[in-house]
Amino acid sequence: MKFDQKDLKIIRSLQRDARTNFADIAKECNVSIDTVIKRFNRLKKNGIVKGTTILLNPRLLDYECIASFEVDVDPGELASFAVQVRKQKGIIFCTPTVGIHNLFAVAVQHDMKELSTLKENLKAFPHVRDIQTSIWVDDILLCPENFELTNLIKGD
Amino acid sequence: MDKVDSKILEELTKDARTSFRKIAKMVDKSPDTIINHYEKLQEKGLIRGSTVIINLRSINYEGLAAFQIDVSTDKSKKIDINKILETLIKMPNIIMATKTVGDHDLLAIGVIHDFDHMMKINEEISEIKGIRDIQTALWASGEEICSKYFIV
Repeated sequence: MKFDQKDLKIIRSLQRDARTNFADIAKECNVSIDTVIKRFNRLKKNGIVKGTTILLNPRLLDYECIASFEVDVDPGELASFAVQVRKQKGIIFCTPTVGIHNLFAVAVQHDMKELSTLKENLKAFPHVRDIQTSIWVDDILLCPENFELTNLIKGD
Repeated sequence: MDKVDSKILEELTKDARTSFRKIAKMVDKSPDTIINHYEKLQEKGLIRGSTVIINLRSINYEGLAAFQIDVSTDKSKKIDINKILETLIKMPNIIMATKTVGDHDLLAIGVIHDFDHMMKINEEISEIKGIRDIQTALWASGEEICSKYFIV
């Protein structure tokens, strides 16, 4: 699909603030508002943009404890174990991984006690050999703008 | 947090561009009330911002990697962990970074094009002053991260 400077500008503006007025983006790109709307819809239709969302601070929603787990589980049981992990309360992300451990999961919990219960529950699953926990402290820094997009522009 | 607040969060999580007028209708309040609530949620820091969710595969990112980083304990080097954190989040392709308590000191998540690219990022991180060890976990980009708290 065609992807040019204008598409890039639209995505960059919305990455910084998804509620940016299309009129402002239009001015920045030197095109009409209709063009911006058309392009945004095209980006969605082409599957490059899946949607927009707000970013919440879990700690201010009473999820004080945020932690990641790295789990060692018997390789043959990995897929079914991952399904079980996703069902656990507070698990917001879970994926099989390649590396020293074979599963990576992130959890948000109200307090340490809840976190420890979750870890015990995970450990109690058959075929789980070891769990390594990292508790996230301080601010979680996010930078959605770090995606490289310029390499998508061809012949520009 | 009241009913209006949670409705705002619910709707904007689904689509950050939902108009305040539309949300106002849903909860039977005026658009001004919604704007007030929204601004308060932003002031309190509950809403950190908004962003587009991008399909990683469509922009040539085949996977993601978690870098668990150990910081050197060498006192003579005068290492500032916060500086390392700042350097990390400024790196291209690193989309999230945080200090951790546990087996490692820092965690960074990055988006990667392919294996070579991952090796390159790994190298770039290891060149940051004060880093002793990096442990990498790699996964394919099909897996969705909860976009409410993170991105992707």
